[in-house]
Amino acid sequence: MSTTILLGPQRFTTTVGATVRSLGVTGRIAMVNSGWEERESDDGELAGHLDGRGVNLRLHHRMMDVLTKDQHFAAAAVAFRDRMDELRAFYGIRLQAAIDAVHAVAHRTSIHAVGPIAEESAMEAVREVDRWYAAELDELYGSVRATAPLDESGTIGWHRGEIGALLDECEAVVIAGGNVRTLLRTLRVFDVTLRPEQSVVAWSAGAMALTDEVVLFHDFTPHGVAAAELHDRGLGRLPGIVALPHAKRRLMLDDHERMSVLARRFAEHRLLLLDDGAVVRFPDGATELPAGARVIDRTGHVSVVGVA
Amino acid sequence: MERLAVNRLRERLPLDGPTIDRFVERYGCPIIEGERATFLYRGDVDEVWVRHRVVGLPDPLPLKRIGESDLWAVTTVLPEGSRVEYQIEIRKGEHYERFNDPLNPRLAHSPMGSSSVCAAIGYRVPEWVAHDPEARPGTLVEEQVHSRALRRDQPVQIYLPARFNRAQRYPLLVVHDGTDYLQFAAMKTVLDNLIHRLDVDPLVAVFVPPRDRLKEYPNHAPHARFIARELVPLLTQRLPLIDTPEARCLMGSSFGGIASLSTAVRYPGFFGSLMLQSASLVFTDIGFDHGGGPAFDPVVKFVNRFREKPSAVVDRLFMSCGVYEPLITPNRSMVPVFRHAGMTVRYTESRDGHNWENWRDRLGDGLAWLFPGPQKFVYE
Repeated sequence: MSTTILLGPQRFTTTVGATVRSLGVTGRIAMVNSGWEERESDDGELAGHLDGRGVNLRLHHRMMDVLTKDQHFAAAAVAFRDRMDELRAFYGIRLQAAIDAVHAVAHRTSIHAVGPIAEESAMEAVREVDRWYAAELDELYGSVRATAPLDESGTIGWHRGEIGALLDECEAVVIAGGNVRTLLRTLRVFDVTLRPEQSVVAWSAGAMALTDEVVLFHDFTPHGVAAAELHDRGLGRLPGIVALPHAKRRLMLDDHERMSVLARRFAEHRLLLLDDGAVVRFPDGATELPAGARVIDRTGHVSVVGVA
Repeated sequence: MERLAVNRLRERLPLDGPTIDRFVERYGCPIIEGERATFLYRGDVDEVWVRHRVVGLPDPLPLKRIGESDLWAVTTVLPEGSRVEYQIEIRKGEHYERFNDPLNPRLAHSPMGSSSVCAAIGYRVPEWVAHDPEARPGTLVEEQVHSRALRRDQPVQIYLPARFNRAQRYPLLVVHDGTDYLQFAAMKTVLDNLIHRLDVDPLVAVFVPPRDRLKEYPNHAPHARFIARELVPLLTQRLPLIDTPEARCLMGSSFGGIASLSTAVRYPGFFGSLMLQSASLVFTDIGFDHGGGPAFDPVVKFVNRFREKPSAVVDRLFMSCGVYEPLITPNRSMVPVFRHAGMTVRYTESRDGHNWENWRDRLGDGLAWLFPGPQKFVYE
């Protein structure tokens, strides 16, 4: 079985080269950096870290090609995005109100022990909003599959074939960060399936894409929905983990109440912090967090796996 | 606190020319020391004043001659973060003249000409104002739109964001005094930068200049009809815009703020948000003596009527105003009126006046609130 490694952001602390070398990979390495969008082809530095063995799958470029050549798909893509944007807008309104309710309830003085019950109920309301969003998103994907099946697009089929052939030649895959929405979209449209025997190294948005639930977060965002938002399903290679890149920069880690709400909201997941320098290894197909990984626990504090 | 430079200079009387030269060269003008600003003028004149429009400071602000020299000075309080536009006025015999401060190279520009700028301690031009070579530039397209409402061809400039893509949909921002916003508030550069920094969602903006501003901006039915029934539908038909009220915003400053609000009042629910900068929200509580002159008559009539029966014509309203401008009181007064009507209001004040650089500096806050950028999607 292969190894999966999640790294911290690579912009200032670049460890991808050493990490890939540590895997002992001798063959070609597939590069996925469609999250960089129009900068996808500026991959010289990344390829350099891979000792020139990198093969860029050029998923963003391929997506542009499909949008240009397949008008039916292009129209369906716009319609899908419109509906998803509307769904996200309603989700944001409901979610923020539900989160605000949790904090309001938590701050209310409780003399007769109603407080904790009310708070758990308010938390459940947040989870219900998340479930509603996930169900609506599934429904949306279902309707798109029915009206504009990706399998029927000749252009997409051609690209899928080429991507599949490239992947077959590669021993490992690296997935870079960037715009996680774009990254997930390209992975989904081209049905990029990671082979069980392929080792994977991913960071930032790439790390998020490997999980089963991609959660958007930015506690310091000046405006808009302040609460973390469920976004989409990822590739599911690392189920049960919510990847939180740039955690120190994007999360109010000192606000334990806020962090506790986040951890309890995604109670079935481990909230994994991926800051600069982080290296989290999942050897031999493992999906359990290894010792040393930093997570947010239910109390809202940062704890280290394996440390009592 | 250390004594002011100009007071230390006064101890060295009598002053000769080279001493004054060195002083001016060393300290420049105005001299900012803590929350004090000292204005200087040098010349053989009978009187000198600083002319400005800062509510709360005397205007004209007289300078005094230092000893028997040709150097004049006055020191005034200038709170942290302030930014003041001013000119120098001199009298020589019966001759009066007014001009920008010859000792201060820093200028601000407006449709009325230029002014000197005094920036207090703590004031910084926002970094997103200057051209950023890393920010991909959007495109400005000039067009003539025929308007039946206005009975003329109306020039507009349409801003398409970098990476404009017909497979995406964009919100629409309608900018009153559009040419001035582009020229004096660097709005294209500001949009390019704010979008590049992910602070603001990529958007389409249409910059609309007035022809007869004093007629068209204070609650003018043909203008409102042009915007809501001609321009926006035309753009929605031609461009990939999000066709919902939430994605449509009107903005303007001063009378342009009134044009924005009055258009929204005439077409309630059609626009989702407004951005009003130092809007001329002048009103009277009793009688009609508003003191603004005839140009403000239709404004006061409109604002008085709105105050009598406030309604939520949009969902969200961003308001900004400078605390040194006379409109600060009406703007502050209208915030609770708008909120009580049911609109969500974000209101900010700045230590600045009724000018384009003030409005420029507030664009970041306003646009990021109205059109939050996609920061949550990007994890580099």
